[in-house]
Amino acid sequence: MMWTFLIRRFIIAFFTLLLITMICFVLTRLSSDPMAQYATVQRMSAEDRAALRLKLGLDQPLPLQYVRWLGLALQGDLGQSSFSKEKVSELILQRLPLTLVLMLSAQLAIVTLSVVLGLIAAVKQYSITDNIITAFSFVGFSMPIFFIAFSLLLLFAVKFKEWGLPYFPTGADIWDPKDIRELLWHLVLPVSCLVVIQVAGYSRYLRSSILEVLGLDYIRTARAKGLVERQVLFKHALRNAALPFVTILGLDLASLLGGALITESVFTWPGMGRLFWEYAQRGDFPVVNGVLLLTSGAVVFATILTDVAYTFIDPRISLS
Amino acid sequence: MKHKFMALASLIVVASLVLAACSPSATAAPTSAPVATAAPTTAPATSAPAATTAPTTAAPAGCPEPVDMASVTPPANPKSVVGGWSQEPNNISPYYTVMSYAVWIAQLTIVGLAEWDENGTFVPELAAELPTAENGGVSADGLTITWKLKDCLYWSDGKRITSEDVKYTWESIMDPKNTPNSRSGYDKIASVETPDDLTVVIKFAELYPPWQTLFTQGPNNTGSILPAHILEGKTGLENDPYTHQPSVASGPFIISEWVAGDHMTLVANPNFYKGRPKLDQIQIKFVPSPEVALAALQTGDIDWYPDFAESDIATVGALEPKIHLKVVAGTSFEHYFFNLGTLKGIDGEPKSKSDNEGFCPFKDVRVRKAIILGIDRQAIVDALLEGKTTVPQSQWPNSFWANTNLTAEAYNAEEAGALLDEAGYKLGADGIRSGMCDGKETKLSFNFETTDKQLRVDIAIAAQSDLKKIGVEFKPIHTPAGTFFATYAEGGILGTGKYDMAGYTTGYYPDPYTSDWRCDVPSKDNASGTNNYHYCDAEIGKLNEAVNSTADPAKRKEAIDALQKYIYDNALVVMMYARANVYGYTDRFVPGEFGDYSNLNWNSEVWDVK
Repeated sequence: MMWTFLIRRFIIAFFTLLLITMICFVLTRLSSDPMAQYATVQRMSAEDRAALRLKLGLDQPLPLQYVRWLGLALQGDLGQSSFSKEKVSELILQRLPLTLVLMLSAQLAIVTLSVVLGLIAAVKQYSITDNIITAFSFVGFSMPIFFIAFSLLLLFAVKFKEWGLPYFPTGADIWDPKDIRELLWHLVLPVSCLVVIQVAGYSRYLRSSILEVLGLDYIRTARAKGLVERQVLFKHALRNAALPFVTILGLDLASLLGGALITESVFTWPGMGRLFWEYAQRGDFPVVNGVLLLTSGAVVFATILTDVAYTFIDPRISLS
Repeated sequence: MKHKFMALASLIVVASLVLAACSPSATAAPTSAPVATAAPTTAPATSAPAATTAPTTAAPAGCPEPVDMASVTPPANPKSVVGGWSQEPNNISPYYTVMSYAVWIAQLTIVGLAEWDENGTFVPELAAELPTAENGGVSADGLTITWKLKDCLYWSDGKRITSEDVKYTWESIMDPKNTPNSRSGYDKIASVETPDDLTVVIKFAELYPPWQTLFTQGPNNTGSILPAHILEGKTGLENDPYTHQPSVASGPFIISEWVAGDHMTLVANPNFYKGRPKLDQIQIKFVPSPEVALAALQTGDIDWYPDFAESDIATVGALEPKIHLKVVAGTSFEHYFFNLGTLKGIDGEPKSKSDNEGFCPFKDVRVRKAIILGIDRQAIVDALLEGKTTVPQSQWPNSFWANTNLTAEAYNAEEAGALLDEAGYKLGADGIRSGMCDGKETKLSFNFETTDKQLRVDIAIAAQSDLKKIGVEFKPIHTPAGTFFATYAEGGILGTGKYDMAGYTTGYYPDPYTSDWRCDVPSKDNASGTNNYHYCDAEIGKLNEAVNSTADPAKRKEAIDALQKYIYDNALVVMMYARANVYGYTDRFVPGEFGDYSNLNWNSEVWDVK
């Protein structure tokens, strides 16, 4: 039954992805023109532009362009950037490793902090601690990420240096990601930025979830049979409260591949977010569609993975 | 439980297979730096790239032997600077890109026959001298240009740079198996002959007046000389590894490392024709945000940033003396212009060639002059641009082509008012003038179209306020650049001429051989027209013809001056200000002279650090 479920889900996922690629392709092609960047280049004649248009395949009707792109994509060829002439898959693979480093580090910190804060806030409901966590959560949740990013940059890089304190790099320096110390040092500010934004929402979500579970009969039973509070919390409450949390986490994990556009731009992090933004600005639809295919594929796959993960967390759930 | 593990394991295997399938080859571990895709080498930042082949060509008589790069020991503590560029070049060959950044990197690595110096003077680079009529470089009919190369020129790998490289460059541009962005100009060449190693004879099939823009380096023109010994026989150069990371250089620096999306490292070329640069190394970090660049300048993470906007002048200037501000008034210019409709075709046709007839009062030169006099352009420059640039007297300011005999009109509201009175436009009760135009009562109230860039918004507000004082209602409309600049077929504001007055920046490329003023007005019958002024004037046609009927730069200058004077006398444009290039750099960095249109990178061999 498990296999039937998986096969069914993969078939649905394939058609879902097909639909997503179609929508993304049409939207990206209609919203931007790869030739627009050449419009004001005086040294390009009308013949030059026509030749380039032909070379990029833009002379073909849109449905045909999509079918050609899809045909190649199914063979693992995401095409060539209309701007840099590099292979899209190579561009993605150049940026993916550092994006994963940034996003996984951030996600690890976010999950750890969210669980800790969510648990404390739930256990100490309406206490001063809970109120402080709640207040910080709301502040973090409501601040735009660029504001947090620039504030961190100004304070911990520019001002700390001005005050003669040890300061963090802006990210605009030349550094070697293969040097683990340098990597960790450069991760601090961008990860902090992502943590401030994400922890707020996650910890609130977990707090509500734990509070809901703590009021259930089986928790009372666990306490009645003499379990210490720590066991009640970690062995019984947290595991069940984590179920909705895992759902969100599963979907968010997939989005890690897409990178963090603003954070990567502010901290000059050469990742997927910047790749997407830089090439989207140029109307480079092969790169944009390549990134979208990767991220949407990851989301679809992560959804299936999340469904399977449910059965591990909650034995009552069966995929059959 | 067993089934669950099986399912999970299957999922992981599927995921691994998908990821593996995406990978073109063994890729770096997640924590390793991504490298340039087709990089032939990724030498450490401080080491010079190994020479591809040992020099095989003997040094010509009287020339020093080239330095073998393989024998160069990189210094332990290289004298180095880090620059921040807002965008990453997509390659190093300007033939295959439209990016300024690619032109910049070419200036650092693969140079041309000549370039423009800090004063805008055309000066030889690989050439021994500039072709002129006097030295026989420009034939009497202007169809043959003869370049002489310097005696002792070497690529960084020790091979000689010869006339064959120039010939190969032209052949590669014209090779149908390559896809350069433009063949413009090069397609007018009938042949390139190389009677000896140092002589290049370029024969044009037809007169090509801006021949100086071919094989030379200037703003936005293509001009690097390509190495025949590396590229000969190759096709599809737009995708060739050399185009993305050259293994040899003719410029002051050689790219030794290009980490895609992050930075590049260049090391000194000991075989550069002017001698080894003062710096051992230049590193360029791609910093997309000027705010981040400003922070990085303050922390010393970067040493210079050439991409500040004019609106950043005050912010960067406030950081003196730790951070130095350099504003260079450029050859591009922000200008406003009037939609006159097409008055009369160059062929004498009285019928309009444009789809629109413009704003009637603008047909009166007194109204146009009044508007020029009624905008306090100097006050705008002083207040919004910190007085760091100028109000130009003619088009193509700060260049060889500017008509310095003209004087920018000073603000004079009284004279402006008098001109409008004389033209018959009297003040109404609402403070707006009106009068008869082509038999119709017309208010001096019109739209002004431009993009939504903040500085343009601010300047338009200042102009609106000034013009209100003389009874003119100037109504700015700000449209995103994509719509504003879109073509006629796409319904763009400029293309369709759906404006009364409009404004944007145009400039020097680096030759005023431009289609802007030719009678090529976009309309439904001529959708690809390039005359965004929507103005067709027989006299301008004749003056333009004179500009483009000779290959002699001195004669062309005379013709351009006459064209400029006609535009000035007829008040056809409001020259707002010369666009400024805004640089910020740290105190430790010692740049050379900043060029108007050759930018900061044109003389990187003299850069130093304190």
